[in-house]
Amino acid sequence: MGIISVLMGAAVLTALLTVSLSVSDNIGQEFTKYGANLILQPQSNRIEIGLPGVGMGSVTEQRYINESDLWMIKTQQMGAKVIGFSPFLYQVVRVDNGSATQDAVLAGTYFNKTIQIPHPVPPQNLETVSTSVADVSPWWKVTGKWITDQNDTSSVMVGSKVAQNLGISIGQSLKVSYAGDQNGTAQTKTRDLTVVGIIDSGGSEDSQIFTNLPVAQDLSSRPGKVHTVQVSALCNACPVEDIAAAIKEKLPYVEGTSIKQLTTVEANTLAKYQDMMGLVTGITLIASMLGIFTTMTANVVERRREIGLMKSIGADNRSVALLFLTEAAITGLVGSIAGFAVGIVLAQFIGLNVFATSIPVRWEVLAVVIPVSIGTSLLASALPVRRATSIEPAIVLRGE
Amino acid sequence: MDEIIRLDNVTKVYDGGTQALGGVTLSLKDEWTTIVGPSGSGKTTLLNVIGCLDTPTTGTVHIAGKTVTGVNKAELTKLRRKHIGLVFQQYHLVPYLTALENVMLAQYYYGTTDEAKVVNALKNVGLGHRLDHLPAHLSGGEQQRVCIARALINEPTILLADEPTGNLDQTNGQAVLELIQNLREAGHAIVLVTHNQDIVKLGDRTIRIVDGTVAWDSALGGGDHGEQ
Repeated sequence: MGIISVLMGAAVLTALLTVSLSVSDNIGQEFTKYGANLILQPQSNRIEIGLPGVGMGSVTEQRYINESDLWMIKTQQMGAKVIGFSPFLYQVVRVDNGSATQDAVLAGTYFNKTIQIPHPVPPQNLETVSTSVADVSPWWKVTGKWITDQNDTSSVMVGSKVAQNLGISIGQSLKVSYAGDQNGTAQTKTRDLTVVGIIDSGGSEDSQIFTNLPVAQDLSSRPGKVHTVQVSALCNACPVEDIAAAIKEKLPYVEGTSIKQLTTVEANTLAKYQDMMGLVTGITLIASMLGIFTTMTANVVERRREIGLMKSIGADNRSVALLFLTEAAITGLVGSIAGFAVGIVLAQFIGLNVFATSIPVRWEVLAVVIPVSIGTSLLASALPVRRATSIEPAIVLRGE
Repeated sequence: MDEIIRLDNVTKVYDGGTQALGGVTLSLKDEWTTIVGPSGSGKTTLLNVIGCLDTPTTGTVHIAGKTVTGVNKAELTKLRRKHIGLVFQQYHLVPYLTALENVMLAQYYYGTTDEAKVVNALKNVGLGHRLDHLPAHLSGGEQQRVCIARALINEPTILLADEPTGNLDQTNGQAVLELIQNLREAGHAIVLVTHNQDIVKLGDRTIRIVDGTVAWDSALGGGDHGEQ
């Protein structure tokens, strides 16, 4: 009975600690499934325009982020927390599928892009980093397939609304034209692209088409430039603004904007989850202590004669206390190891059913569960042991 | 013969007001003393007080030249370890320990363990072939012999026996009594409580307790020889 109490306490403690440790990492990743939580844009100056006395609003100077600077996102102080990032270069293009045409926004971005890091920095010392638009847009539902090759300049992924309007299907060829100004001369560039996937995001992406970044840069003659960078940062209850600030240190001309609502929810949910963990663990340990207390008390009552006998043949209070405390410690040890095993199974159950993820065994949890279980056992045994030491040896002869 | 135990006007009143001993004065020597008396007369309380298992309400107790009245429980435990060996009617062996371990337990509390000595002690009581048996696998007589071996293993000054043959058949009872006789011949002081008149005859001295007082002491002479 005592060992069952310890086992149950240890199992719950193991499960909650294991889930807590694994999920506090995972929970951040779960949240990042909702997409990027940081958007980088070039700092731009607003220019007020108008006539004397007549304000006509403001214009914003068109600026870009240099693609060649993007590696710094991973080498800034909190680079390890950046799960992925993807740049975007936007332009309005005319999409022609042979039977119909429509204007759409073409976004050039990264698909499985490997970036060389010219100056690796500790502790990561990364020489290359691989990132993709899929890292910042994991919620996209793609029919067909993703563009998988960073050097693929002939494939396009099409938003579901564009696909619907033009009756586009997978494998179809599109003519994509960009009419722009090239060195003061109006010029139209056209690319033939093959549709490999149709994106359903439920957002503005459904009206866009996506290619590898070099395709977009070439069409609009803006080599090495991007408009924005979406960053997905793993941030366990830390302010994502800190990551934005760290990026700004590396890239002073870039402004980072966090998607505050998302990160606040993330932090609040994690905090609530941890509060709940603490509460459940506390209640379980108290219940476990009550179980041990009851069992030890019954044990002492059942063994009164044995205790009396031991005292009558020379055992002092210390020996009697040591006997029961050793039993309590062994109960705690055996119960904690068995409870750890049960807890791992429980953690898997919680992980799969609540967080839809498998939970790895965290051996460091055992280093917590064993001393906590032994300590709980000893603490719960204190009063029963005191009772045991107060038993008089005379009861043996009196036959009580 | 030397005085081993002396009680001066010892009384014992339990919580609730029951008086078990009412002013007992005794001087016991290194001989076989048998204590008799009707049930509830105070025999067991007297044995508890002599064995340092209980403390008197008033009066003084001296064991092997030391005054034990007023000493704390830890000191009483030390005195008990050193001077007292106990033999119980119910044997009181620890059920999950073997015969060997039960005897070694007394050594353990005494502070030293010597397995060879324990094996020898068990051989002396005729249990050399039962060393690794649990109490449940021993007969009543064998359990009582383990109990005697345990009582003697630390070579106590006094052996206290409470109805040592009370739960035994005649054959086993006889074997146990022979062991006790051997102990007396070896010079141990024995205080034995019994209802059995045949055992009374084996002792050197008989004391009859009635209503918590000494009603008759063979050392002082008298007519009824402790009959109950």
